[in-house]
Amino acid sequence: MPTTTAQPSSPAKLSVKDLNFYYGKFHALKGINLEIPENKVTAFIGPSGCGKSTLLRTFNRMFELYPEQRAEGQIVLDGENLLTSKQDVALVRAKIGMVFQKPTPFPMSIYDNIAFGVRLFENLGSSEMDDRIEWALKKAALWTEVRDKLHQSGSGLSGGQQQRLCIARGIAIKPEVLLLDEPCSALDPISTAKIEELIAELKSEYTVVIVTHNMQQAARCSDYTAYMYLGDLIEFGATEQMFFKPQRKETEDYITGRFG
Amino acid sequence: MSSTPLAGAPSPEHHVSSTFPASATALDLAAERGRARTAAPPPVRSGRSGPMADRLFGWAAKGAALLTLALLIGILISLLAGAWPAIAKYGLGFLTSSVWDPVQDEYGGLVMIYGTLATSAIALLIAVPVSFGIALFLTELSPAWLKRPLGIAIELLAAVPSIVYGMWGLLVFGPILATYVQQPLQSLFDGVPYLGALVSGPPVGIGILSAGIILAIMIIPFIAAVTRDVFEVTPPLLKESAYGLGATTWEVVSKVVLPYTKAGVIGGIMLGLGRALGETMAITFMIGNMNQLNSLSLFEAANSITSALANEFAEAGAGLHQAALMYLGLVLFFITFVVLTLSKLLLAQLKKGEGTKS
Amino acid sequence: MTTSERLLQANALARTRQSKFAARNRLNKIALTLSLAAMAFGVFWLLWILFETVRLGVGGLALSIFTEMTPPPNEMGGIANAIFGSFVMVTLATFVGTPIGVMAGIYLAEYDVKGWLASVTRFVNDILLSAPSIVIGLFVYAVVVARFKSFSGLAGALALALIVIPVVIRTTENMLQLVPPALREAAYALGTPKWKVILSITLRAARAGVVTGVLLAVARIAGETAPLLFTALNNQFWTSSITEPMASLPVTIFKFAMSPYENWQQLAWAGVFLITAAVLALNILARVLTRNKL
Repeated sequence: MPTTTAQPSSPAKLSVKDLNFYYGKFHALKGINLEIPENKVTAFIGPSGCGKSTLLRTFNRMFELYPEQRAEGQIVLDGENLLTSKQDVALVRAKIGMVFQKPTPFPMSIYDNIAFGVRLFENLGSSEMDDRIEWALKKAALWTEVRDKLHQSGSGLSGGQQQRLCIARGIAIKPEVLLLDEPCSALDPISTAKIEELIAELKSEYTVVIVTHNMQQAARCSDYTAYMYLGDLIEFGATEQMFFKPQRKETEDYITGRFG
Repeated sequence: MSSTPLAGAPSPEHHVSSTFPASATALDLAAERGRARTAAPPPVRSGRSGPMADRLFGWAAKGAALLTLALLIGILISLLAGAWPAIAKYGLGFLTSSVWDPVQDEYGGLVMIYGTLATSAIALLIAVPVSFGIALFLTELSPAWLKRPLGIAIELLAAVPSIVYGMWGLLVFGPILATYVQQPLQSLFDGVPYLGALVSGPPVGIGILSAGIILAIMIIPFIAAVTRDVFEVTPPLLKESAYGLGATTWEVVSKVVLPYTKAGVIGGIMLGLGRALGETMAITFMIGNMNQLNSLSLFEAANSITSALANEFAEAGAGLHQAALMYLGLVLFFITFVVLTLSKLLLAQLKKGEGTKS
Repeated sequence: MTTSERLLQANALARTRQSKFAARNRLNKIALTLSLAAMAFGVFWLLWILFETVRLGVGGLALSIFTEMTPPPNEMGGIANAIFGSFVMVTLATFVGTPIGVMAGIYLAEYDVKGWLASVTRFVNDILLSAPSIVIGLFVYAVVVARFKSFSGLAGALALALIVIPVVIRTTENMLQLVPPALREAAYALGTPKWKVILSITLRAARAGVVTGVLLAVARIAGETAPLLFTALNNQFWTSSITEPMASLPVTIFKFAMSPYENWQQLAWAGVFLITAAVLALNILARVLTRNKL
């Protein structure tokens, strides 16, 4: 199905070209072409099973953990195709951070949770590490709440705090892109609002892609939106234009709540 | 752009589902009522087992449970009673004396206790890393088609009776160990102060090292199966979070999965340890059955509690000899009891520690 | 930060990551290779043991194994009395131990579930489950053999039964717990008395798992030697009386294998082959049952 795309004004950070994805024999993503603009928030929306999470998880090659999943096509980051990069996948993933639907603190202290990723890639002295951790927690708007209990277990925090911890953990290794897979779906409205504020701040330094099944969230948070349906990218454009003047009937049907 | 109807929406021309069994005739309630009046109701089945049967059954079940308790208490009492003459004579000194002389009627359990602990320690030293490696392979590396057969192979290894291990160990493995491991080791460390003493003694394939190796092979399936099971129930989202940060497989397993599953892993290790401590036949074949503690050599024939019992109890005359052996049995039972209780306490502690700490 | 500054910083970061990565990658590869080696190690032992058992055991297999008694050293013979003795004692132990084990398992799963008696019983059961089997033999010796002043097949069967009970309790309780509460509630709603709900509904639903547990217990005691060493002792001749010392496969193998006589060792290998085949067959049978029914 041909995609309707409005050309984004910012340069593209991630370019997706002719991406096809298969779960075994099932053709889950069909010829996706997309340009994710730099330092903006892009939202993927669509009904259940449309492939938005699948698409997100191709960006950091998370699908490679599962042998029956495979991707064909190009995902270009800074001029290099991630899918065929000669670099080890671990280094690719260091450039692209991911936060999942449920908060996943590691079974260690808050300090060690955040230091985990940093220790993989850099050799920081202890005071430098302290600084980095403070920086990451401040960026995730969690510092004031946990500064006195950095050495307590991460699982002792509330759901919203845990999710912000996961965001801090992802930011600490200084990625260039942040992928958020329905980050607020397990959180209460107040925590959700805090995270949405956070997203608005983060975009000044990172390219953010967020998958959400909540259209209002997409309308609030994102600069660009991609609407997907059954593995096809139907329409992509600036959020305002998508929500007020969608160019495809399918998009309009979804947005006005006709189905899904 | 044409407007296509949404897939699946019923169009107005279709009838409502035609899959209902459309009955040709309407329900004739009047006729039904008439039929019910004339037919005799089903006879009341007498013999409804009253509350008595229920109570009896409940007592039987409770009795079976109490029997288990009685069994444990019975074992403790009979062991204590049987060992009493030796306990009365030696007290706790029994545990540190290495004299074992049926002729002079003088006994001390140090040789056997040392043998039991040393072989189990060697077994754990070998089995724990290998089991961890097997669990790692089965959960992260193995291609899907290989997982099931390999898992079954490991479990079958657990089912093989210990006498098979013992016999194979003595007649097949021992000689090979002697030629390819013990003799080379001996010539290698000849003259070296501590290591030389460790590998002294006749290199004929029996002794504490040999018994320890066989024991390791026996307990690997237990520890590996439990470790694999707990690795498998780690939430995939947790692993994906670590991979997403750019960690390698080894880093994910050692730094995230292992801490997450440590309770289960330790439980599995304790299970293996318990099995090793109580193992009789494999050790009896391999340990050499000599009550000596002259050197710390791993190659000298030695004895363990279980092998001493296996070899000497049937002929031991009722008296101090038998009582001393019973004392050893009591010590062994006590050791396994302590290991089991420790592992349960550890598991309970770990579960509490991972809870909310804020 | 200007674009060029940002690019420079990103490059520096990439270089740091790359330099550390070589060592991490090496460690990862070493670890994964070792784990493959561990797996091969485990499978290797199984294959070697099975291979030797078959090779050395099949050679000694002949009809005489099943028809002739255990011979004196250096004479021809078989192990018929040992096979028969094992069969008798294992069967007796299973018939005695299974009902007790199942009833206790029922008590733990259906009656007391969280009460103190249940917790204590579970703990005690765990101890018995991991108690060294030779200690069980000591217990039966003290209680039966010493009392009646003779070794007997009955004492041997009793010792084996005491090993069956904890295994069956554990598996029965686990299997009953898997039965969905809705099934029980439906039976109660019909007015069924408790004992009937348990026997006809719950136990029947868990039937496959319970049978598997019994099969595994049988496989375990078929190969147990230690508890028989000073309860049933051994018998060179045929006996069908369980009040006399009785030969058994494991004890006969023990005696023959440790001896220096070749014909005895040959018979021992044949016996080992038989036991291994029986135990593996039982295990595979148990697996097949659970796969089909559950």
